[in-house]
Amino acid sequence: MIVLGLGGCGHVIGCSQDDARNDTRTGLGTGPRTMTNTAPAVVAKDDALIQSYRQAGTDRSGRYDEMLTPTGEVRPHWRGFLGQLGQLSDNERFTRSVRLDRRVRETGIAYDIFADPSKPAQRWQLDLAPIIISSAEWRWLESALIQRARLFDAILNDIYGQQKLMRDGLVPPELVFSDSAYLSACQGILPKSGGLQFYAADLARGADGQWRIIDNHTETLAGVGYALANRVVHTHVAGDLFKASNAIRLASYFQDMQGALTQHSQRENARIALLTPGPRHEDYFSHAYLARYLGYLLVEGSDLRIKGSQVYLKTLEGLKEIDLIVRCVDGRDMDPLELNPMGFDGPAGLVRVTRKTPQIAVNPAGSAVAQNRGLGRYLPLLAERLLGEELKLPDAPRWWLGDAASQTHVRANLDHLVIRKAQEGTGRPGQAALGQDTRTLTPTDHALLTSDIELHGARLVAEEKIGFSVAPVYGRNGLAPKPFAVRLFVNKTRAGYQVMPGGLAMTVDPDRAVALSAPDGHTRDVWVLSEADQGPHVSLWRPTLETARVERSQRVIQSRVADDLYWLGRYSERADWTMRVLRSALRRVEEDNGPATGRRAARKCLEVLLAKNSDDADARKVPVETEIENLCALLISNPKGHRTLERTFEGLYRVAHLARDRLSLEAWQALSRFRPGDTWVKSLSSAAPIAVLDLLDEGLASVAAFNGLMHENMTRNFGWSFLDMGRRMERAYNLSEAILTLFIPVPEGEEEASSLLLLLELADSFITYRSRYRLDPMLALVLDLLLLDEANPRSLAYQLAAMSRHMEGLPTAQRGVSLSEDRRLILSALTSIRLTDVEAIAREPNGAALERLMLDQLQLLPELSNAISRHYFNLTQDAPHRVHTRIDPRGEAKP
Amino acid sequence: MIFDVSHKTHYRYSLPVVQSQHLIHMSPRTVARQTIRHHSLIVEPAPALRYDSVDALGNPVLILDIEVPHKELILHARTTVETHAAPQIDGAATVPWSRLDDSFKHLARGLPLDVIQYRCASRLTTATREISDYARVSFTRGRPVLEAAMDLNRRIFKDFKFDNTATDVSTPITTVFKQRRGVCQDFAHLALTCLRAVRVPSRYVSGYILTRPPPGQIRLQGADASHAWISVWSPESEWVDLDPTNGIVVSDEHITIAHGRDYDDVSPISGVLLGGGEHSVSVGVDVVQIS
Repeated sequence: MIVLGLGGCGHVIGCSQDDARNDTRTGLGTGPRTMTNTAPAVVAKDDALIQSYRQAGTDRSGRYDEMLTPTGEVRPHWRGFLGQLGQLSDNERFTRSVRLDRRVRETGIAYDIFADPSKPAQRWQLDLAPIIISSAEWRWLESALIQRARLFDAILNDIYGQQKLMRDGLVPPELVFSDSAYLSACQGILPKSGGLQFYAADLARGADGQWRIIDNHTETLAGVGYALANRVVHTHVAGDLFKASNAIRLASYFQDMQGALTQHSQRENARIALLTPGPRHEDYFSHAYLARYLGYLLVEGSDLRIKGSQVYLKTLEGLKEIDLIVRCVDGRDMDPLELNPMGFDGPAGLVRVTRKTPQIAVNPAGSAVAQNRGLGRYLPLLAERLLGEELKLPDAPRWWLGDAASQTHVRANLDHLVIRKAQEGTGRPGQAALGQDTRTLTPTDHALLTSDIELHGARLVAEEKIGFSVAPVYGRNGLAPKPFAVRLFVNKTRAGYQVMPGGLAMTVDPDRAVALSAPDGHTRDVWVLSEADQGPHVSLWRPTLETARVERSQRVIQSRVADDLYWLGRYSERADWTMRVLRSALRRVEEDNGPATGRRAARKCLEVLLAKNSDDADARKVPVETEIENLCALLISNPKGHRTLERTFEGLYRVAHLARDRLSLEAWQALSRFRPGDTWVKSLSSAAPIAVLDLLDEGLASVAAFNGLMHENMTRNFGWSFLDMGRRMERAYNLSEAILTLFIPVPEGEEEASSLLLLLELADSFITYRSRYRLDPMLALVLDLLLLDEANPRSLAYQLAAMSRHMEGLPTAQRGVSLSEDRRLILSALTSIRLTDVEAIAREPNGAALERLMLDQLQLLPELSNAISRHYFNLTQDAPHRVHTRIDPRGEAKP
Repeated sequence: MIFDVSHKTHYRYSLPVVQSQHLIHMSPRTVARQTIRHHSLIVEPAPALRYDSVDALGNPVLILDIEVPHKELILHARTTVETHAAPQIDGAATVPWSRLDDSFKHLARGLPLDVIQYRCASRLTTATREISDYARVSFTRGRPVLEAAMDLNRRIFKDFKFDNTATDVSTPITTVFKQRRGVCQDFAHLALTCLRAVRVPSRYVSGYILTRPPPGQIRLQGADASHAWISVWSPESEWVDLDPTNGIVVSDEHITIAHGRDYDDVSPISGVLLGGGEHSVSVGVDVVQIS
């Protein structure tokens, strides 16, 4: 056992000295006024900003100030930024910060539509003011973090290899064995895998000016996508400020990451996949954003399948080999066969694959054990033993409660400490748990905590409160000091570990936080100043000619993505149709009154969408106008109905979110109106009927805009086929249903005329009909136009023919002599429509033939939809599940 | 004693299973108390891949990958094993349980990790205050570790009722403790939870036990048992097997298959399936003494 020094971290760190030296050197001039020779005229405004900062708040007292020296002068590395910011007018600064908010929203950082609605919304704000780090300080931080990454790499190599550190007591064995992130099944794999690839550290600077690591992340990429998105957004809005500071850009860091990962995969044209737990995970945005930026496939566990010792991606064209998995799921959840039996975030059998091909997953499974908070106190000795170096940057003072001596100390000093889990995992940045502050506990909770420490000490740590330094945030009144913590990211390249010259800073509550806990989601970009001039802007969004290859066929389409696009098509068409029905019905009440038969026809259409029985139609007491208004309200929002507009919008927004990496920003924006809980959706269910008509017009325009953008911009690949098939399927179904509803039983006289008019309106074919026939609507002619006419994009035959064409072009997994079920069904549906004699049908007095025809369609179409799902999306195969036997002494054969 | 063991598991699925992967712990490991004379496992349908290895805890493990669609899966393990009577143990001659830490130190090869790993609570053996208090009745101040463990073993046998309808495979240990009912697996987990609450190294043992028909009746086919018990470590006696379901120290009528931190590590058959719908399973075990 190791004897713990309880005196906290007595290591002297060079950063504050560096700062001081810097100050003296630049201070040889005549102070801040002459510093920014690019903008000498702005001194006065610049001063006003600093003045506001000096006066604002009391948060600064007793804290290290990033921007001002203890004597109140601006530190040199902030001058470029402040000079440029001072040049902007108050209004301009405010406009910039509003634009940042909007950009953050549009990029989707702030929204998490899958979050539990009872939980407060995930907030994300990006401040106009960054955290600025001088190049001298950065050099030191860089070297300290690289040392730390090397140290963790060495520790992990030992834990999953020789285990000498544990046998010698340098790493407490019970700390490792009590940590669910330690995966004994992965013993021996990590040392052969290339070791730790990604590492991130959360840092805070105390009142003494020294940085300390307050948390480590060795499991996944730890939300680097947020830092990247913040930078992209900030540069859009305030690129001039960034430039004036001469800060380092991020692109080359990510280029090096791409290079390193390609090399790691040992393939030139590696197929690299970023494995995410899926949209429900709080960090999903980061995964999706990064995958898109790096040009990697974004896959979920169910997209992958293991055969033999190889990982495959399920695509429409069959199984495709995956060469490298960038693991963004917890190690213990990546293989339900050999690891956590409840963890289905990866494909069953992945551990077996990594035994044969250890480098296939980065970080390798089990890497999270190094981030155990309890390790902190043992790191100085470990650095000496493993690296022969003194640890440059210590962790914040912590006690691992599995150690008897620590427990005794902690019990005696509980009031100054915060108790937390030793292993918390890595979620969305800023969501680190606050821990239990014993000062605020009730006596009962206090007793519980003491008991917990005794029983589960090995899984807990006690932490001292730490200091946070302050830096400016921008507000309406100028700059104000706010405490923060920062996350910095490290990646391994050919040349060793590399630190991203930037990071993610978040505002914390210094009274409660001991880690990166920032529930209000206020973030700041991190700028690292360069000594050299920065080269021209290179972004990975725009590849250079050397790196780009002409590639016609688009990226492979996962079966799951095809499924999402198909439903995107269905929901957008369903939204369009439902809004049309509502608009037609309300118009007949609110605008021109027209004949009563028109209102009755509209009522029927509403009822069928609400799955209401219209048999009791005669027994109604309220006037039909009131009734239509009531039905419309129900169709818009009604917790029971599953075809209501609200439900449809929910579905539409959800699948659009799932397929987001296939949508352009404009297409996504066109749908933003339909976000559940958005003002437009809310006012739809609360507005007066006449106002609803205006809202519906707006909604229909948005759907039309979305469809238009998809139609014009989407490459005609398999993804397009599924989107369009979804739309055609929905339209065919709704049209068939409307025809059946309106014409069976057969309407007479004026009722027929009204029904025909409504049908033409719903099918958006009134003008086509008028220009073709110049007659009042007649059943045979309308049916010809809406059932048979394959030139009319609103007709049933057109929908079926289009689906048939798409299906011809799709790859067939199993090519056989006989037609697949989906092809057989579409052929049958299309043929029965093509063979129809509309004049004969229209002449029939009881409508029996029309009824049969429409009922056939209404039965065939859902079957077809299921057949498509089964054939291409493999839904039944997508949900792996576990079986195991219980040891039951009597089995089934009871004596 | 020499035993022939036949262990047959039969899965039936309502829909075809498209692909299945299984992790099998049915091949008995070598321990001091037993010698494996023969072991075989027949699998139907034939797996595309069959990968034999030893897991991180030293148990033989088999991974199967079945790629042909199937609605039934049969695994039939046959083992011939010779068991030896365990040496007499003296619980009172072991070190006090609270002094175990000292006995880990000063070892030439460093800390014995293969023992220490079994001190730590696992997913299925995480203690509560109540369970810890229950353990403390046996683990009184200064009591020798094995004596205390044997006392706990007898108390569980006395206080808990065998009832194979009270729990299922997912029943948490807290429920078992409250109900005072369960099967051998539950009692093993409870004993481990207690022992680990006082930081005594202890492991889960899965295996078979010879059952004797009631006097005057014949032995029924397939009516023998898979069984689970525990093993407790002390520096003097090293690993000693205790059976809390029967309240005894294990001798030569128990056949060990595997050691684990809990059931999750050594489940005889676990699998992940694509497809399959509903499934039912029947298990038949025969333990026949041949000499």
